[in-house]
Amino acid sequence: MSALGAAMAFSVAACNNQTGFSGSVGNTPNGPPLASYEILGTIGTPFTATVSDSRSSWTLQGVVPLSIVIANNILPAAIVATKTTSNSNLLSVEIITGFRVADVQSTSAPFGTVSVQVGGTLNSIASPASPDLRIFAAGPDQERYSALVEDITTGWVINARAPTLILFDTPDGKVDATFFGGHDFGSFTLDMTLNGAVVATVVHGPDATIREP
Amino acid sequence: MHRTARGLIVPFVIVIGVLLAGAGSARASKKALVEVGFVGVPPPNFQNVLLNVQSVRLNPKASAAPGNGKWQTIPVPPGIGNAGQSADMQIDLNTSQNVPQLFNTANVQANTYQIAELRLDPNNPGSLIPDCPKSATLGGGNTTADGCINYPFQLATGNNPLTVPFPGGLIFPGNGALTQLIFEVSMVVNSPPTVPGGAYTVTITLASPPTNPIEMGTVTGSVNVKTGSSGSSTKIRKLAVTAEAIGTNTPIATAPVKNGNFTLILPAAGGNNASLLGFGTLYDLAVAGGTDTYAAERLLPLYPGQTITVSPAFQVTGSQTLGNITGSISDNCVAKKAIVGATLQLLIPPDSNSAADCFPTIASPDDYLQCVAVATANTDNAGNFPLPGTITIPPEFASVPVQSKSLPNKGAYVMEISAPGYDNLFVYAIPGSSKNGGTCGTDGTTFSACNLALNTGYVSGSIQVERPNPGQTTEVQVFAEDHGTNNIESALPMPVRVTNSNGGTIGYTLNVPTSATVPQGFDLFAATVDNLYQSVSDPNKGQTIAVLSDVPAPAPPSGSGICDTKTANFSGDQTITCVGHGSVTGSVANANLGTSVVLSKQDTDSGNFVAITNTPVQNQSANSNPLNSYSFCAPADIYQVQEWQLPTPDSSAAPSSSPTASPVPDIAAVVIIPTPLSAGGPNPTPTPAINCPTTCENSDGTCPGICNNVIQPLPPTPSPTPTP
Repeated sequence: MSALGAAMAFSVAACNNQTGFSGSVGNTPNGPPLASYEILGTIGTPFTATVSDSRSSWTLQGVVPLSIVIANNILPAAIVATKTTSNSNLLSVEIITGFRVADVQSTSAPFGTVSVQVGGTLNSIASPASPDLRIFAAGPDQERYSALVEDITTGWVINARAPTLILFDTPDGKVDATFFGGHDFGSFTLDMTLNGAVVATVVHGPDATIREP
Repeated sequence: MHRTARGLIVPFVIVIGVLLAGAGSARASKKALVEVGFVGVPPPNFQNVLLNVQSVRLNPKASAAPGNGKWQTIPVPPGIGNAGQSADMQIDLNTSQNVPQLFNTANVQANTYQIAELRLDPNNPGSLIPDCPKSATLGGGNTTADGCINYPFQLATGNNPLTVPFPGGLIFPGNGALTQLIFEVSMVVNSPPTVPGGAYTVTITLASPPTNPIEMGTVTGSVNVKTGSSGSSTKIRKLAVTAEAIGTNTPIATAPVKNGNFTLILPAAGGNNASLLGFGTLYDLAVAGGTDTYAAERLLPLYPGQTITVSPAFQVTGSQTLGNITGSISDNCVAKKAIVGATLQLLIPPDSNSAADCFPTIASPDDYLQCVAVATANTDNAGNFPLPGTITIPPEFASVPVQSKSLPNKGAYVMEISAPGYDNLFVYAIPGSSKNGGTCGTDGTTFSACNLALNTGYVSGSIQVERPNPGQTTEVQVFAEDHGTNNIESALPMPVRVTNSNGGTIGYTLNVPTSATVPQGFDLFAATVDNLYQSVSDPNKGQTIAVLSDVPAPAPPSGSGICDTKTANFSGDQTITCVGHGSVTGSVANANLGTSVVLSKQDTDSGNFVAITNTPVQNQSANSNPLNSYSFCAPADIYQVQEWQLPTPDSSAAPSSSPTASPVPDIAAVVIIPTPLSAGGPNPTPTPAINCPTTCENSDGTCPGICNNVIQPLPPTPSPTPTP
């Protein structure tokens, strides 16, 4: 674990044992480590994707690169991504668990599709998430950061690289998140959407906090 | 008539060679550049032979221990991961049998290296997708494992690490020089899986240089920087020359400009049945970076072993004021709808054709095809551009040299904006120096903020989809391609999710370019995309593909928000249903590196064939054992396979636009992939098993069994021979 990660783990635990990380949502014990879904390849390649765990699913559009994390997920989970360009750009989807690549699939085909899953067999795509709460974190390309994302009962430590889309599966109460970018990170641009509507926006750095209103 | 647009169709010889290649970050002690690539010698009868490569490393000592401190690492490219992170780059040995697939270019210490090591993901070294079986494959007994699905592989005992030693010196990268290191990666299957869903055991060997001819060429030249008189910037991109696939903004490799010079080593298609030198690969060069003006060139075809020296040298002017171009891209038909993933390119004419007008007009509608992209941006999830750069490198659209207002169109650049499902838009763009800088206009005289909207139209209709069993879902994607071509224009922004309750007839609405861009209209096909097979992902589907030909293109918007819709209902005989998959394999006579094969399905109402997918013809001469092979995995059904051909580039002239492939008359055949025998029962085996190997399930709980292969040579003699 990096020094920053160790520091994060310490600070998060300390906050959780006091009045809550955000000061407004109470005690939040850490949730289990989360898998991340890395959509990589030729930078700027557009795609559509369906992400599903066993309880909820989300559809999204984006461009390479993008990290996706599902907070409060219930495995198994899967992602199906389709390139939406007819060129030969590479689209590669990796699932990262811990520090290893659990699965990887790539395509260079025009409008090619790739799919990966983790944690067992997902027999069907789950129903659309309700509520559909997402946090999009933009920052310097490919730059790593740490974050704590929590509802009123549980907090998840996320180590990812910008840009990241955090999907919160079935939050218990309101959600907030704090991002730690390190001294040379620059600024985060954070957007929180609830059922498709932007409910909070924060531009701050190198650390930033966003709360559901 | 085909749509003519930059970068819509990439020559096939480029497709198989295109991967990310970027210069690694320079360090004080690492001043030599090494470019790594792979050529594959895969085992026969596989659709894909995929290696998950994590890095390549070099050591000056042939007997160096794994922990030796002198290993120099070439990591995966920047788009895949950064140093020290877990990331795999997937290399397909099948598609790199002739032209090398570039891995990455990185800085290393200048030295004589005596050993190289290919490092695969230790947990997941790769996977194999076999053709459908022609004979027993499972454990060597009388049982058969399914084809067209993913199988992991493991390295045979003792086959790790993967190294290629050469005590006399494998490569000798010197300071400031670029050295190529091409591995020939050969795989032999030792044993097939012993249980359904199990792993192949394989042996991989490396050779460098490859035993077959290396299909690479060199492009070199100079960049003369004339001192300018304007401002400067401290946070800039370094001056570099990027080779792009002709007519696109797809980078193949980038070389820094050192002491006014650059060198690129690029894939170059050789082979027979073309010109005396080989087929040839076409590139554009873009010069950008520093505080210098842009420059560009379109090259003659590059042939294996050849060196193209760009002459005359590029002339750029330094010390320019750098500005930015920012803004947003939205939908002209739906208020406030952002377009995610739109691509913006700044175009300039090549030095050798400086009169080319990059802004299409009625008088010169296609001149812009001669232009070269020198800067690219994309929109984010809110439709804003550009995406952020890294901490040290700003995005290309934040480092645009400001041109003199005395130049035509007030010194504006021509900017092309494209997005799948929308008409391309061309505007003039002037970089600004403020945080919200940059202005755009369409007439070259009036400029405002670069908040632009793209035109679109709609195709809406219905598709028949067999109801999935309760608790299961099917995701259906609809694709639109230019009528009579295999050029896909758009797909649904989100696939349609089909369940037992909403199955039967489903509706769809597809954004497509208007008749102003695609006057010939569209062919549509719909396929399932939730290709997950048990605990591994499966790239091939078990449900039929629906096709619909000759759908008229909607008219351009008659006003903002007033947009046209055409109705296109798929015929009832095109119901998407579970049939299981199969494969088609064969060889193509007299193929060259511009030859591909297209798989089409007939729209029985119109009689037209709708292209579904294509593949290059692989393993051609001058390889030592050329097979000229192709293969497809597809749902069991009736198809046509047809040879398509790119024109052979003219060795004496740079083309005015990217060439496009066209069907070869009469080199086509109808193939019937037999439906697998039904297997399983009301309670099919829930794990990967012989009895239920495919990706879908029938309504009675049975499922398609082991898939079939059809052998179909082109030209079509003899007749198709199904091998159940």
